[in-house]
Amino acid sequence: MFYWKKLGKAFTPQEIQGRPWLKEFAQAPATLVMDDVVRFYFSCRPPADANGQYVSYSAYVDLERQDLFKVRHVAEQPILTLGGLGEFDEFGTYPVSVVRDGDVVRAYYAGWTRCESVPFNVAIGTAVSRDGGKTFTKMGNGPILSYSPDEPFVLSGPKIRRFNGQWQLFYIAGRKWKTVDGRAEPVYKIRMAMSHDGLHWTKLNKDLVESRVEEDEAQASPDVFYANGNYHMFFCYRYSSHYRGKQNGYRIGYASSSNLVDWVRDDSKAGIEVSEQGWDAEMISYPHVFELDGKTYMAYLGDQVGRHGFGLAVLEGRLE
Amino acid sequence: MKWLKHGKIFDPTEHTLPNRCVQFAQSPQALVFDDFVRIYFSTRAVDTNGKFLSHIAFVDMRKNLREVIRVSDQTVIPLGGLGCFDEHGIFPMNVVRHGDLVYGYTCGWNRRVSVSVDTAVGLAISRDNGLTFERIGPGPVLAASLDEPCLVGDGFVMVIDGVFHMWYIFGTGWKKYAPDVAPDRTYKIGHATSPDGVNWTKEESRQIISDQLGPDESQALPTVVKIGSRYHMFFCYRESFDFRKAKGRGYRVGHAWSDDLSNWTRDDDAPQLDGTPGAWDSDMQCYPHVFECDGKVYLLYNGNEFGRHGFGLAELQP
Repeated sequence: MFYWKKLGKAFTPQEIQGRPWLKEFAQAPATLVMDDVVRFYFSCRPPADANGQYVSYSAYVDLERQDLFKVRHVAEQPILTLGGLGEFDEFGTYPVSVVRDGDVVRAYYAGWTRCESVPFNVAIGTAVSRDGGKTFTKMGNGPILSYSPDEPFVLSGPKIRRFNGQWQLFYIAGRKWKTVDGRAEPVYKIRMAMSHDGLHWTKLNKDLVESRVEEDEAQASPDVFYANGNYHMFFCYRYSSHYRGKQNGYRIGYASSSNLVDWVRDDSKAGIEVSEQGWDAEMISYPHVFELDGKTYMAYLGDQVGRHGFGLAVLEGRLE
Repeated sequence: MKWLKHGKIFDPTEHTLPNRCVQFAQSPQALVFDDFVRIYFSTRAVDTNGKFLSHIAFVDMRKNLREVIRVSDQTVIPLGGLGCFDEHGIFPMNVVRHGDLVYGYTCGWNRRVSVSVDTAVGLAISRDNGLTFERIGPGPVLAASLDEPCLVGDGFVMVIDGVFHMWYIFGTGWKKYAPDVAPDRTYKIGHATSPDGVNWTKEESRQIISDQLGPDESQALPTVVKIGSRYHMFFCYRESFDFRKAKGRGYRVGHAWSDDLSNWTRDDDAPQLDGTPGAWDSDMQCYPHVFECDGKVYLLYNGNEFGRHGFGLAELQP
């Protein structure tokens, strides 16, 4: 048995000045542990354009390793440029997940484009950093993981992992666009692909986690962590309609596996819920679990899917 | 080799078409039967917002390729669902027999905001000799990838020695050629192979046909036929900008040959397909499709206005 003891909100994007591309949101935190800081990658937005539409950038904040509630530094610029005209990532690079590979850091990110009949489409790109994760260069102008017969649209939320000498990419794939009150809302499920080199991927073509709250449940942020002989996945899920408030909004779920492919879901074990009050009282989402100096932490988003930043919790008990 | 032109053989306005389509019979593609030839084409309906939707229809013709037996009166393949790659049109669909089945490789169109469209190649299978097709899934089998960032489409498939070969086009990018015009795209011809027709390996972004007009040449609709021991590819090519109406910038039919399916030698002159002054194909020749029928090699193609008024036929003279 385990649970997550909440430590509070660790980063508030509204407190950062002098970066016009960073007005609000610090979504989908992902960590890279460094000598004296922990680098938290996140995705943020400048003000909406004249049509009320956003673009998303990804950047990072370095938090003190000895005290994760102290900001050391915030990226001067986004880590990735937006794509060119007509490219898959023209209107956003969000979210991003990073992993070390020898001397370089590899990033996997979701690139956003805008469509006519539905608001957007998403595919997964990759980029490499040769300066320890400060700046990244895209490996190509197109996506590294794109649409296929059973994954027709919205490939997003990549989480890159390297277990057992292999590369694993956990992500989500769109299942359907559901029209709710005249608006197209995406339903997506957690999926997985495997690779020997991080570049050539074979999709598993299977939903990893069964749907629980409804058939059209949307699942996101499949964050896999190895501990005590098992793989532990924390993810978030929501209802397919009217999910922007507390009632149908995101919650954090849990599944475990011994082989990365077959997963047993048991949300009752997740060990974290919305708070009675405060910054995460309506929804909690986009969990990311990492280990630091003998402790296991979860970074996650609160109300309005991270508009006001992300928080931290520390593991109490044992993942098994 | 040269082309003997037989003129226009099908005019869509002379027939009732399914899905409330009225004009256009674009990118004809043949499926040869014992006693007739089924020619698929893309025709157009008008969407609620005034934009076009391309649908697949077919015409069955006697083997003289003049006499119409019938035109499809029902949906051959419905358009894709909300948000899918083929929601706003299928143009073209290449058909290839595989055992008792007919594989249909679709080029699906979906509308974008900053540019007009994107495309990808889907697979749909017919179990009734090509009357109707059912997708293997709602998504594509060939789509944008690391070095092919957009506009993967126009697949043409041939099975050679048990291997599926696909020649297709990929976009190299979009560009605004003038401040007040919509962005235009450039695409080139590429090649992929597959053991089963479903899982494909691209020769990622290798342009297999050299440019005649320079880097702003767009190449489309590759189609391949084997004559003797040599493979011949026909395709159409044009300037990427101001190609719709400007004289000399629109589509023409190009040609290349290969003896090893890897290296292609471009040779647009032999055989060359010319437009006939004053005729239906005077200003433009596009969307070629070559096929064999009763020992002859035929070319189906579109003429002026991208096939608004139908398609024509030419026959290869050795």
